[in-house]
Amino acid sequence: MLMLQLSVFSQWKILAGSADLLLLFTIAWCLHDRSKYLWLLVLIMAGITNFVSAMPVFVPVLVYLGVYILTRQVHLRIWQTPLLGMFIVTFAATLAQTALSIAALFIQNAEISFTDAMIKVALPSLLLNMLLAIPVHALVRELAFYAFPKGAEA
Amino acid sequence: MISKLLTTKNLRNLIIILVVVGVLFLAISGYLTPLFSFSVSPFIRAQSWLAQRYLAFSDFFTSPRDMATLRAENSELNEQVAMLQSEIVALQENLAQSEILYTLLDFARSNPEHEYLAATVIGREISPYLQYIIIDKGSNDGLRHGMPVVTQQGLVGRIDALIADAARVQLITDSASIVNVKLQTAQVEGQVRGSVTGEISIDMVPVGNEVEVGDVIMTSGLGGTYPPNIFVGQVLTMQSKENVLFQSGSIQPVVDFSSLSAVLVITNFDSVNITPLIP
Repeated sequence: MLMLQLSVFSQWKILAGSADLLLLFTIAWCLHDRSKYLWLLVLIMAGITNFVSAMPVFVPVLVYLGVYILTRQVHLRIWQTPLLGMFIVTFAATLAQTALSIAALFIQNAEISFTDAMIKVALPSLLLNMLLAIPVHALVRELAFYAFPKGAEA
Repeated sequence: MISKLLTTKNLRNLIIILVVVGVLFLAISGYLTPLFSFSVSPFIRAQSWLAQRYLAFSDFFTSPRDMATLRAENSELNEQVAMLQSEIVALQENLAQSEILYTLLDFARSNPEHEYLAATVIGREISPYLQYIIIDKGSNDGLRHGMPVVTQQGLVGRIDALIADAARVQLITDSASIVNVKLQTAQVEGQVRGSVTGEISIDMVPVGNEVEVGDVIMTSGLGGTYPPNIFVGQVLTMQSKENVLFQSGSIQPVVDFSSLSAVLVITNFDSVNITPLIP
Protein backbone atom coordinates (compact mmCIF):
# COMPACT_ATOMS: atom_id res chain seq x y z
CA MET A 1 0.00 0.00 0.00
CA LEU A 2 2.78 2.40 1.00
CA MET A 3 4.84 1.48 -2.06
CA LEU A 4 1.82 2.03 -4.30
CA GLN A 5 1.28 5.42 -2.71
CA LEU A 6 4.93 6.52 -3.01
CA SER A 7 5.51 5.27 -6.52
CA VAL A 8 2.14 5.59 -8.26
CA PHE A 9 -0.52 7.61 -6.48
CA SER A 10 1.81 10.43 -5.40
CA GLN A 11 2.60 10.98 -9.08
CA TRP A 12 -0.98 10.58 -10.29
CA LYS A 13 -1.97 14.23 -10.12
CA ILE A 14 -4.73 16.59 -11.08
CA LEU A 15 -3.18 20.08 -11.10
CA ALA A 16 -1.05 19.79 -7.95
CA GLY A 17 -3.39 17.55 -5.97
CA SER A 18 -2.92 13.84 -5.42
CA ALA A 19 -4.80 11.02 -3.70
CA ASP A 20 -3.89 9.61 -0.29
CA LEU A 21 -4.27 5.85 -0.52
CA LEU A 22 -3.18 5.19 3.07
CA LEU A 23 -5.84 7.52 4.40
CA LEU A 24 -8.54 5.94 2.22
CA PHE A 25 -7.49 2.45 3.25
CA THR A 26 -7.64 3.43 6.93
CA ILE A 27 -11.09 4.98 6.55
CA ALA A 28 -12.47 1.96 4.67
CA TRP A 29 -11.01 -0.47 7.18
CA CYS A 30 -12.35 1.47 10.16
CA LEU A 31 -15.83 1.57 8.62
CA HIS A 32 -16.09 -2.16 8.16
CA ASP A 33 -18.32 -4.15 10.54
CA ARG A 34 -15.89 -6.94 11.25
CA SER A 35 -12.70 -4.95 11.54
CA LYS A 36 -10.79 -5.30 14.79
CA TYR A 37 -7.80 -3.59 16.43
CA LEU A 38 -8.67 -0.32 14.73
CA TRP A 39 -6.64 1.78 17.15
CA LEU A 40 -3.59 -0.30 16.23
CA LEU A 41 -4.17 0.21 12.51
CA VAL A 42 -4.62 3.95 13.01
CA LEU A 43 -1.45 4.07 15.08
CA ILE A 44 0.53 2.15 12.46
CA MET A 45 -0.76 4.27 9.58
CA ALA A 46 0.03 7.51 11.42
CA GLY A 47 3.49 6.15 12.22
CA ILE A 48 4.18 5.14 8.62
CA THR A 49 3.03 8.51 7.31
CA ASN A 50 5.20 10.29 9.89
CA PHE A 51 8.19 8.19 8.91
CA VAL A 52 7.88 8.77 5.17
CA SER A 53 6.41 12.26 4.94
CA ALA A 54 8.15 15.54 5.68
CA MET A 55 4.98 16.91 7.28
CA PRO A 56 5.29 17.83 10.97
CA VAL A 57 4.36 14.99 13.32
CA PHE A 58 1.15 16.53 14.57
CA VAL A 59 -0.51 16.62 11.12
CA PRO A 60 -0.80 12.86 10.42
CA VAL A 61 -1.40 12.08 14.10
CA LEU A 62 -4.32 14.50 14.34
CA VAL A 63 -5.72 13.47 10.93
CA TYR A 64 -5.66 9.74 11.72
CA LEU A 65 -6.98 10.32 15.24
CA GLY A 66 -9.82 12.34 13.73
CA VAL A 67 -10.46 9.58 11.19
CA TYR A 68 -10.71 7.02 14.01
CA ILE A 69 -13.18 9.11 16.01
CA LEU A 70 -15.26 10.11 13.00
CA THR A 71 -15.48 6.59 11.57
CA ARG A 72 -16.72 5.29 14.94
CA GLN A 73 -19.42 7.96 15.02
CA VAL A 74 -20.41 7.47 11.38
CA HIS A 75 -20.45 3.72 11.81
CA LEU A 76 -22.85 4.03 14.74
CA ARG A 77 -25.21 6.38 12.93
CA ILE A 78 -25.28 5.24 9.29
CA TRP A 79 -24.08 1.68 9.52
CA GLN A 80 -26.62 0.60 6.86
CA THR A 81 -24.83 2.53 4.09
CA PRO A 82 -21.08 2.14 4.54
CA LEU A 83 -20.32 3.72 1.16
CA LEU A 84 -22.06 6.92 2.25
CA GLY A 85 -20.03 6.79 5.44
CA MET A 86 -16.88 6.34 3.36
CA PHE A 87 -17.71 9.45 1.34
CA ILE A 88 -18.50 11.51 4.43
CA VAL A 89 -15.32 10.56 6.29
CA THR A 90 -13.15 10.92 3.16
CA PHE A 91 -14.54 14.40 2.57
CA ALA A 92 -14.05 15.46 6.18
CA ALA A 93 -10.60 13.86 6.52
CA THR A 94 -9.30 15.48 3.31
CA LEU A 95 -10.52 18.89 4.44
CA ALA A 96 -8.99 18.36 7.88
CA GLN A 97 -5.73 17.29 6.28
CA THR A 98 -5.78 20.40 4.11
CA ALA A 99 -6.42 22.71 7.04
CA LEU A 100 -3.72 21.10 9.18
CA SER A 101 -1.19 21.02 6.32
CA ILE A 102 -1.71 24.69 5.55
CA ALA A 103 -1.46 25.50 9.25
CA ALA A 104 1.79 23.52 9.50
CA LEU A 105 3.27 25.29 6.48
CA PHE A 106 2.17 28.62 7.89
CA ILE A 107 3.90 27.83 11.18
CA GLN A 108 7.05 26.83 9.28
CA ASN A 109 6.96 30.23 7.59
CA ALA A 110 6.73 28.62 4.17
CA GLU A 111 5.77 30.50 1.03
CA ILE A 112 2.08 29.72 0.78
CA SER A 113 -0.81 31.13 -1.20
CA PHE A 114 -4.12 30.15 0.35
CA THR A 115 -6.00 30.48 -2.96
CA ASP A 116 -3.51 28.30 -4.83
CA ALA A 117 -3.52 25.79 -2.01
CA MET A 118 -7.28 25.49 -2.18
CA ILE A 119 -7.79 25.58 -5.96
CA LYS A 120 -4.73 23.70 -7.18
CA VAL A 121 -4.12 21.28 -4.32
CA ALA A 122 -7.04 20.84 -1.93
CA LEU A 123 -9.92 20.54 -4.39
CA PRO A 124 -8.12 18.22 -6.86
CA SER A 125 -6.97 16.08 -3.92
CA LEU A 126 -10.52 15.96 -2.63
CA LEU A 127 -11.80 14.94 -6.06
CA LEU A 128 -9.20 12.18 -6.42
CA ASN A 129 -9.85 10.91 -2.90
CA MET A 130 -13.62 10.81 -3.52
CA LEU A 131 -13.11 9.00 -6.83
CA LEU A 132 -10.78 6.47 -5.28
CA ALA A 133 -13.03 5.99 -2.26
CA ILE A 134 -15.33 3.65 -4.19
CA PRO A 135 -12.74 1.08 -5.40
CA VAL A 136 -10.80 1.26 -2.14
CA HIS A 137 -13.99 0.65 -0.16
CA ALA A 138 -14.87 -2.35 -2.34
CA LEU A 139 -11.37 -3.76 -2.07
CA VAL A 140 -11.14 -3.33 1.69
CA ARG A 141 -14.61 -4.82 2.13
CA GLU A 142 -13.48 -7.98 0.32
CA LEU A 143 -10.23 -8.04 2.28
CA ALA A 144 -12.08 -7.65 5.57
CA PHE A 145 -14.45 -10.50 4.72
CA TYR A 146 -11.42 -12.62 3.93
CA ALA A 147 -9.48 -11.54 7.03
CA PHE A 148 -12.41 -11.86 9.45
CA PRO A 149 -14.68 -14.64 8.18
CA LYS A 150 -18.14 -14.76 9.72
CA GLY A 151 -17.67 -18.22 11.25
CA ALA A 152 -14.64 -17.05 13.16
CA GLU A 153 -16.72 -14.61 15.23
CA ALA A 154 -18.60 -17.43 17.02
CA MET B 1 21.06 -64.10 -101.66
CA ILE B 2 18.60 -61.17 -101.47
CA SER B 3 15.64 -63.49 -101.56
CA LYS B 4 17.24 -65.42 -98.75
CA LEU B 5 17.55 -62.24 -96.69
CA LEU B 6 14.02 -61.04 -97.45
CA THR B 7 12.30 -63.67 -95.50
CA THR B 8 9.00 -62.88 -93.79
CA LYS B 9 10.59 -62.82 -90.42
CA ASN B 10 13.32 -60.41 -91.40
CA LEU B 11 10.87 -58.12 -93.18
CA ARG B 12 8.69 -58.01 -90.07
CA ASN B 13 11.69 -57.19 -87.89
CA LEU B 14 12.81 -54.51 -90.29
CA ILE B 15 9.38 -52.93 -90.37
CA ILE B 16 9.21 -53.00 -86.58
CA ILE B 17 12.63 -51.38 -86.30
CA LEU B 18 11.68 -48.70 -88.82
CA VAL B 19 8.41 -48.01 -87.03
CA VAL B 20 10.16 -47.79 -83.64
CA VAL B 21 12.87 -45.55 -85.01
CA GLY B 22 10.24 -43.42 -86.70
CA VAL B 23 8.18 -43.14 -83.56
CA LEU B 24 11.26 -42.29 -81.54
CA PHE B 25 12.23 -39.66 -84.11
CA LEU B 26 8.76 -38.19 -84.03
CA ALA B 27 8.74 -38.26 -80.19
CA ILE B 28 12.17 -36.62 -79.97
CA SER B 29 11.11 -34.05 -82.51
CA GLY B 30 8.04 -33.20 -80.44
CA TYR B 31 5.44 -34.19 -82.99
CA LEU B 32 3.91 -36.74 -80.66
CA THR B 33 3.49 -34.42 -77.65
CA PRO B 34 -0.22 -33.58 -78.21
CA LEU B 35 -1.00 -37.22 -78.75
CA PHE B 36 1.02 -38.18 -75.67
CA SER B 37 -0.67 -35.55 -73.56
CA PHE B 38 -4.06 -36.57 -74.76
CA SER B 39 -3.42 -40.19 -73.99
CA VAL B 40 -1.77 -39.54 -70.56
CA SER B 41 -4.17 -36.90 -69.19
CA PRO B 42 -6.89 -39.38 -68.15
CA PHE B 43 -4.32 -41.23 -66.10
CA ILE B 44 -3.12 -38.01 -64.48
CA ARG B 45 -6.68 -36.97 -63.64
CA ALA B 46 -7.34 -40.38 -62.16
CA GLN B 47 -4.09 -40.21 -60.19
CA SER B 48 -4.83 -36.77 -58.78
CA TRP B 49 -8.41 -37.79 -57.88
CA LEU B 50 -7.05 -40.80 -56.05
CA ALA B 51 -4.33 -38.78 -54.33
CA GLN B 52 -6.81 -36.11 -53.15
CA ARG B 53 -9.15 -38.72 -51.78
CA TYR B 54 -6.28 -40.42 -50.04
CA LEU B 55 -5.09 -37.16 -48.49
CA ALA B 56 -8.61 -36.34 -47.35
CA PHE B 57 -8.93 -39.78 -45.89
CA SER B 58 -5.55 -39.51 -44.22
CA ASP B 59 -6.37 -36.02 -42.80
CA PHE B 60 -9.63 -37.32 -41.42
CA PHE B 61 -7.79 -39.83 -39.26
CA THR B 62 -4.65 -37.85 -38.43
CA SER B 63 -6.02 -34.31 -37.95
CA PRO B 64 -7.05 -34.68 -34.24
CA ARG B 65 -3.50 -35.58 -33.37
CA ASP B 66 -2.19 -32.68 -35.44
CA MET B 67 -4.62 -30.25 -33.83
CA ALA B 68 -3.44 -31.27 -30.40
CA THR B 69 0.16 -30.89 -31.51
CA LEU B 70 -0.59 -27.52 -33.06
CA ARG B 71 -2.35 -26.32 -29.95
CA ALA B 72 0.57 -27.36 -27.80
CA GLU B 73 2.98 -25.66 -30.17
CA ASN B 74 0.75 -22.59 -30.24
CA SER B 75 0.67 -22.32 -26.47
CA GLU B 76 4.44 -22.80 -26.34
CA LEU B 77 4.92 -20.09 -28.93
CA ASN B 78 2.52 -17.81 -27.07
CA GLU B 79 4.54 -18.34 -23.92
CA GLN B 80 7.72 -17.57 -25.80
CA VAL B 81 6.16 -14.43 -27.28
CA ALA B 82 5.03 -13.27 -23.82
CA MET B 83 8.48 -14.00 -22.40
CA LEU B 84 10.20 -12.17 -25.23
CA GLN B 85 7.85 -9.23 -24.90
CA SER B 86 8.59 -8.96 -21.18
CA GLU B 87 12.30 -9.20 -21.98
CA ILE B 88 11.92 -6.42 -24.54
CA VAL B 89 10.13 -4.23 -21.98
CA ALA B 90 12.86 -4.95 -19.40
CA LEU B 91 15.59 -4.20 -21.93
CA GLN B 92 13.88 -0.98 -22.97
CA GLU B 93 13.67 0.02 -19.31
CA ASN B 94 17.36 -0.79 -18.86
CA LEU B 95 18.21 1.15 -21.99
CA ALA B 96 16.29 4.20 -20.79
CA GLN B 97 17.95 3.95 -17.37
CA SER B 98 21.37 3.54 -18.99
CA GLU B 99 20.81 6.59 -21.18
CA ILE B 100 19.95 8.65 -18.10
CA LEU B 101 22.99 7.34 -16.24
CA TYR B 102 25.27 8.02 -19.24
CA THR B 103 23.97 11.58 -19.38
CA LEU B 104 24.60 11.97 -15.65
CA LEU B 105 28.07 10.50 -16.12
CA ASP B 106 28.78 12.99 -18.89
CA PHE B 107 27.66 15.80 -16.61
CA ALA B 108 29.86 14.50 -13.78
CA ARG B 109 32.87 14.30 -16.14
CA SER B 110 32.29 17.80 -17.44
CA ASN B 111 32.08 19.18 -13.89
CA PRO B 112 35.10 17.59 -12.20
CA GLU B 113 35.19 20.11 -9.34
CA HIS B 114 32.52 18.08 -7.51
CA GLU B 115 32.27 14.46 -6.50
CA TYR B 116 28.99 12.84 -7.40
CA LEU B 117 26.99 9.83 -6.35
CA ALA B 118 24.22 8.67 -8.65
CA ALA B 119 20.91 7.70 -7.07
CA THR B 120 17.57 6.51 -8.36
CA VAL B 121 14.30 8.16 -7.40
CA ILE B 122 12.18 5.52 -5.68
CA GLY B 123 9.29 7.55 -4.32
CA ARG B 124 7.55 10.85 -3.86
CA GLU B 125 6.08 12.69 -0.91
CA ILE B 126 2.66 11.52 0.28
CA SER B 127 1.35 14.99 1.03
CA PRO B 128 0.46 17.02 -2.05
CA TYR B 129 1.41 20.19 -0.15
CA LEU B 130 5.09 19.24 -0.03
CA GLN B 131 7.60 18.65 -2.82
CA TYR B 132 10.02 15.92 -1.79
CA ILE B 133 11.45 12.83 -3.46
CA ILE B 134 12.95 9.69 -1.94
CA ILE B 135 16.21 8.29 -3.38
CA ASP B 136 17.78 4.86 -2.98
CA LYS B 137 21.05 6.00 -1.37
CA GLY B 138 21.47 6.80 2.29
CA SER B 139 23.97 7.23 5.09
CA ASN B 140 25.54 3.84 4.28
CA ASP B 141 26.59 5.32 0.94
CA GLY B 142 28.20 8.34 2.58
CA LEU B 143 25.35 10.80 2.19
CA ARG B 144 24.78 13.47 4.80
CA HIS B 145 22.11 16.00 5.64
CA GLY B 146 22.20 19.10 3.45
CA MET B 147 24.09 17.65 0.49
CA PRO B 148 22.99 19.28 -2.79
CA VAL B 149 21.23 17.15 -5.39
CA VAL B 150 21.45 17.90 -9.11
CA THR B 151 20.79 16.38 -12.52
CA GLN B 152 22.60 16.97 -15.77
CA GLN B 153 20.18 19.85 -16.35
CA GLY B 154 20.53 21.70 -13.08
CA LEU B 155 19.66 22.02 -9.42
CA VAL B 156 17.13 19.63 -7.90
CA GLY B 157 17.29 20.25 -4.16
CA ARG B 158 19.08 19.09 -1.02
CA ILE B 159 18.99 16.12 1.29
CA ASP B 160 16.57 16.71 4.11
CA ALA B 161 16.46 13.41 5.99
CA LEU B 162 18.39 10.15 5.90
CA ILE B 163 18.18 6.53 6.86
CA ALA B 164 20.76 3.83 6.14
CA ASP B 165 19.71 3.02 2.59
CA ALA B 166 17.46 5.89 1.53
CA ALA B 167 17.23 9.64 1.73
CA ARG B 168 14.51 12.25 1.43
CA VAL B 169 15.34 15.21 -0.82
CA GLN B 170 13.64 18.57 -0.49
CA LEU B 171 13.08 19.90 -4.02
CA ILE B 172 13.65 23.56 -4.79
CA THR B 173 9.95 23.65 -5.73
CA ASP B 174 8.93 22.99 -2.11
CA SER B 175 7.19 25.87 -0.41
CA ALA B 176 9.79 25.94 2.39
CA SER B 177 12.76 25.99 0.00
CA ILE B 178 14.81 29.13 -0.56
CA VAL B 179 17.82 29.19 -2.90
CA ASN B 180 20.14 32.16 -3.16
CA VAL B 181 20.74 32.86 -6.83
CA LYS B 182 22.32 35.31 -9.22
CA LEU B 183 21.09 36.44 -12.60
CA GLN B 184 23.85 35.92 -15.14
CA THR B 185 23.18 38.83 -17.48
CA ALA B 186 21.77 41.34 -15.01
CA GLN B 187 24.52 40.55 -12.49
CA VAL B 188 22.17 40.86 -9.54
CA GLU B 189 21.26 38.47 -6.80
CA GLY B 190 17.93 37.22 -5.60
CA GLN B 191 16.14 34.30 -4.05
CA VAL B 192 14.31 31.45 -5.73
CA ARG B 193 11.34 30.25 -3.71
CA GLY B 194 9.14 27.23 -4.16
CA SER B 195 5.42 27.15 -3.66
CA VAL B 196 2.71 24.83 -2.48
CA THR B 197 1.80 24.03 -6.10
CA GLY B 198 5.35 23.14 -7.14
CA GLU B 199 6.03 26.27 -9.15
CA ILE B 200 9.11 28.39 -8.48
CA SER B 201 9.54 32.13 -8.53
CA ILE B 202 12.34 34.63 -8.07
CA ASP B 203 12.15 37.28 -5.39
CA MET B 204 14.32 39.80 -3.57
CA VAL B 205 15.78 41.24 -6.79
CA PRO B 206 16.60 44.89 -6.04
CA VAL B 207 14.47 47.44 -7.86
CA GLY B 208 16.39 49.42 -10.43
CA ASN B 209 18.13 46.50 -11.99
CA GLU B 210 16.98 45.69 -15.49
CA VAL B 211 16.15 42.00 -15.68
CA GLU B 212 15.41 40.56 -19.10
CA VAL B 213 13.12 37.67 -19.87
CA GLY B 214 15.22 34.57 -20.53
CA ASP B 215 18.04 35.65 -18.23
CA VAL B 216 19.82 32.60 -16.86
CA ILE B 217 19.57 31.96 -13.12
CA MET B 218 22.44 30.21 -11.31
CA THR B 219 23.06 29.46 -7.66
CA SER B 220 25.15 32.17 -6.01
CA GLY B 221 26.57 30.11 -3.19
CA LEU B 222 25.49 32.67 -0.61
CA GLY B 223 24.34 31.20 2.66
CA GLY B 224 26.43 28.08 2.21
CA THR B 225 23.45 25.90 1.38
CA TYR B 226 24.28 25.21 -2.26
CA PRO B 227 27.53 25.42 -4.23
CA PRO B 228 27.75 28.32 -6.69
CA ASN B 229 27.14 28.23 -10.45
CA ILE B 230 24.56 25.48 -10.68
CA PHE B 231 21.89 26.12 -13.30
CA VAL B 232 18.42 26.74 -11.80
CA GLY B 233 16.28 28.12 -14.60
CA GLN B 234 15.40 31.10 -16.74
CA VAL B 235 13.34 34.20 -16.06
CA LEU B 236 9.85 34.00 -17.55
CA THR B 237 8.34 37.24 -16.30
CA MET B 238 9.39 40.03 -13.96
CA GLN B 239 7.21 42.52 -12.19
CA SER B 240 7.96 45.36 -9.84
CA LYS B 241 5.30 47.19 -7.87
CA GLU B 242 5.44 50.78 -6.77
CA ASN B 243 6.89 51.61 -3.38
CA VAL B 244 8.56 48.22 -2.93
CA LEU B 245 12.25 47.56 -2.56
CA PHE B 246 12.40 44.33 -4.52
CA GLN B 247 11.01 42.97 -7.72
CA SER B 248 9.82 39.43 -8.27
CA GLY B 249 8.99 37.16 -11.17
CA SER B 250 8.26 33.67 -12.37
CA ILE B 251 10.85 31.15 -13.49
CA GLN B 252 11.00 28.30 -15.97
CA PRO B 253 13.01 25.61 -14.12
CA VAL B 254 15.52 23.65 -16.17
CA VAL B 255 14.73 20.40 -14.40
CA ASP B 256 11.49 18.60 -15.16
CA PHE B 257 10.54 17.72 -11.59
CA SER B 258 7.56 15.60 -12.62
CA SER B 259 9.71 13.04 -14.45
CA LEU B 260 12.77 12.78 -12.23
CA SER B 261 14.09 9.23 -12.30
CA ALA B 262 17.79 9.53 -11.46
CA VAL B 263 19.80 12.25 -9.72
CA LEU B 264 23.35 13.04 -8.65
CA VAL B 265 24.24 13.90 -5.07
CA ILE B 266 27.23 16.22 -4.66
CA THR B 267 29.12 14.43 -1.91
CA ASN B 268 32.07 16.78 -1.41
CA PHE B 269 30.02 19.81 -0.45
CA ASP B 270 29.27 20.50 3.19
CA SER B 271 26.37 22.84 3.62
CA VAL B 272 26.74 25.48 6.31
CA ASN B 273 23.99 26.10 8.81
CA ILE B 274 24.07 29.83 9.44
CA THR B 275 20.83 29.90 11.40
CA PRO B 276 22.57 30.55 14.76
CA LEU B 277 24.26 33.60 13.24
CA ILE B 278 20.99 35.15 12.12
CA PRO B 279 19.91 37.70 14.74
